[in-house]
Amino acid sequence: MASSDTPKEVEDVEEEMALAGPEDLIKHPLQNRWAMWFFKNDKAKDWCDNLRVITTFSTVEDFWALYNHIQRASKLPSGCDYSVFKDGIQPMWEDEQNKRGGRWLVNMNKNQRHHDLDNVWQEMLLCLIGEAFEEQSDDVCGAVVNIRNKGDKLGIWTRDFNRQDSILKIGRTLRERMNMPKSCIMGYQAHTDTISKAGSTVKNRYQL
Amino acid sequence: MSSASGEPKVQGRDIPNRRVVLNDISQLPSEYSTTPGGTFFSTTPGGTRIVYERNFLLQCRNSPLAKSPPANMLEIPGITSPAKPGVKENGDHSLKSVKEEKAKVSAEDAQFEMDI
Repeated sequence: MASSDTPKEVEDVEEEMALAGPEDLIKHPLQNRWAMWFFKNDKAKDWCDNLRVITTFSTVEDFWALYNHIQRASKLPSGCDYSVFKDGIQPMWEDEQNKRGGRWLVNMNKNQRHHDLDNVWQEMLLCLIGEAFEEQSDDVCGAVVNIRNKGDKLGIWTRDFNRQDSILKIGRTLRERMNMPKSCIMGYQAHTDTISKAGSTVKNRYQL
Repeated sequence: MSSASGEPKVQGRDIPNRRVVLNDISQLPSEYSTTPGGTFFSTTPGGTRIVYERNFLLQCRNSPLAKSPPANMLEIPGITSPAKPGVKENGDHSLKSVKEEKAKVSAEDAQFEMDI
């Protein structure tokens, strides 16, 4: 027990540093630098003004430093989004890297927000930063989670909806990593179709 | 060498170590596989892609380097910072605000609890 007048907090920190091996003090670089964005639906403002970069990161440890200190996706108010995109790509259809692209879309029902949403979102992020899609990772732009009362959505955005082989490989990896049951169908939608949708449904360009 | 008092003069000394923080892939030394922890890096055949396994990424979650929020994080109350200022997620207290936090600690602190 500390008998000196050193504040306990300081001692704890010093002890922790002494115990840390060199492997704890080296940050592991990622293949890409990523930006995490937050969107809040404030109708009084322009859409773009509601979209803000929280921070960027390019190491495994900096990713966790961020992830460990932000609100969980399931706790965000309805109408909010988190997006994680490669640095330089804005999480919007209009971006040069997105305008010919689309997304693998995972729809969640209301019950899943408490059980599955955070796990699936975390899994998507680990796929992104760990380059789990391997060569196809170059086609990936980012990931988005939309928190909505009518049902939450998660998506992996890729840059070109014509790249069928790549998109299907990404989709298969995603299903595997998310442990998606076989009975569940996952669709890939082109952003242009989403923008020009006539009804409430958007056709799937690909399906798994 | 012996001192005038006759006692052998033996002093403990820390083993020197070097702290390396990589901020960018370009700073990665060419022999990185020999650095501690470097064996976790892997590359795809014919490429230099840095791929991390899921389990390795999860292990890093509790790294000392991930215990503080990023310095340049945008502050959005309720999202990137607790709705209540001064209480950090990991239970640490900044020295100047310990007193005021003690008064404020309540069940709501669980908001930013880490789930592992």
